[in-house]
Amino acid sequence: MAIIEVSNLKKSFGDLEVLKKITFNVDKNDVVAVIGPSGSGKSTMLRSLVHLEEINGGSIKVAGDQLVKDGVYSKPQEVKRITSKMGMVFQHFNLFPHLTVKENLELPPKLVKNEPTSVIHQRSTELLKKIGLTDRANAYPANLSGGQKQRVAIARALMMNPEILLFDEPTSALDPELTGEVLKVMKDLAEEQMTMIVVTHEMGFAKEVANRVIFMDNGEIIESGHPSELFDNPRNERTKAFLNRV
Amino acid sequence: MPQDVATLAVLPRGGVLALFVFGGVFLSLDYITSILGPMLEGAQMTVLLFLIAIITAIPLGFLLTLAVKSSFKPLSFLAQGYIYVMRGTPLLLQLLFICFGLPMLPVVGEYLVLDRFVAACLGFVLNYAAYFAEIFRGGLLAIDKGQYEASQVLGLNKWQTTTRIILPQMFRVALPAVANESVTLVKDTALLYAVAVPELLHYAQTAVNRDFTIVPFFVAGLIYLIMTLVLTVVFKVIERRFKFE
Repeated sequence: MAIIEVSNLKKSFGDLEVLKKITFNVDKNDVVAVIGPSGSGKSTMLRSLVHLEEINGGSIKVAGDQLVKDGVYSKPQEVKRITSKMGMVFQHFNLFPHLTVKENLELPPKLVKNEPTSVIHQRSTELLKKIGLTDRANAYPANLSGGQKQRVAIARALMMNPEILLFDEPTSALDPELTGEVLKVMKDLAEEQMTMIVVTHEMGFAKEVANRVIFMDNGEIIESGHPSELFDNPRNERTKAFLNRV
Repeated sequence: MPQDVATLAVLPRGGVLALFVFGGVFLSLDYITSILGPMLEGAQMTVLLFLIAIITAIPLGFLLTLAVKSSFKPLSFLAQGYIYVMRGTPLLLQLLFICFGLPMLPVVGEYLVLDRFVAACLGFVLNYAAYFAEIFRGGLLAIDKGQYEASQVLGLNKWQTTTRIILPQMFRVALPAVANESVTLVKDTALLYAVAVPELLHYAQTAVNRDFTIVPFFVAGLIYLIMTLVLTVVFKVIERRFKFE
């Protein structure tokens, strides 16, 4: 069952058409890896789903609710409700530097959800344990490594209990030796059936963890399919050329 | 120098301690004690003006920043114009205008005769608010747009984003510049001299004229240094507390 339905999504920055009639579905529990060269529109597509970019045309449906239909957005309150079903992890973490790890996790649900403090606290404790950073609960982001920051960012997104988690190049800003710890957390999430869309340059992760890969180039989806098909038997010339380069 | 030693020897014995010989004038503890009373009284005025100015100008400056950033264009232009005028003209001119210029305005002038100190406070607050506004604007510019994006995706509304995420970071970024501006404010209080409000420098100048000695200038300088030192230490403590490390 499709949890995200995108059809004919169009987005331009001025005269530059970044997304040209993108159409795809994501099923519940899918782990979708979105790959493609820089400037192909991967990040813009992802950001459009959570309304960080306003699209110029097309429709987006999330868990049955219409976020935008033929370029017309639902009411702001609806948009907020619908986008709250998705969490997002950014390339540059975007942790709140003036808050400790624990506060980064607990402040958003405290402000946004009407949950008792004890429930929030319990969840943050569990998530810190899960990402292996219980001992850094009171540290400020400035004192964490890149990999630790990104793990905290993932936990912060999970605090909001999202149905879908979006990752925008989560390991691109990390030193190579630190990507493993972040990918491990993501892999664990995939095993727990979390629905994920991951824009990534990590072909290894795409092959191993994703159950579907979307290849984008120049604002279009060129090819999509199971990793085994797409990586071993690419049909399109552009896909082949890209995979040969990386 | 033998001559100086000779001079020291003829000093009255009554517990007078010669400290320095400077320009032929003795800096004696007795003399300093005698001028210190009125000078500290003047320093009280300095401190009072400083506190009133900083406590009022910082929030006002912040409101100005918000006005500049406002999407309501007339408000933004008005705030920008205000900042331009206040930063573009000398504070001394503004003080003179408020003290002596306002009462000369036709029709309304007679209602605008303010107490000198009140007028001076008004001048300082209006002027410094413009500087603080620019400092805070700089602080806002320093905040990465990823902070706004993360807040939006996590579901925070605009008010929550501003008050819980953006402002604390803005104040942290602005702190060194605010400290710097505060030190300048302490020294600028000497401009009260020009509108004849008796403050520290006023008493020093009076003593210099009366006693034909420059010692009071040194004492005044020392008192200013002590005030700025205290302020610097206070801001260092605040900076350390908000280091977020």
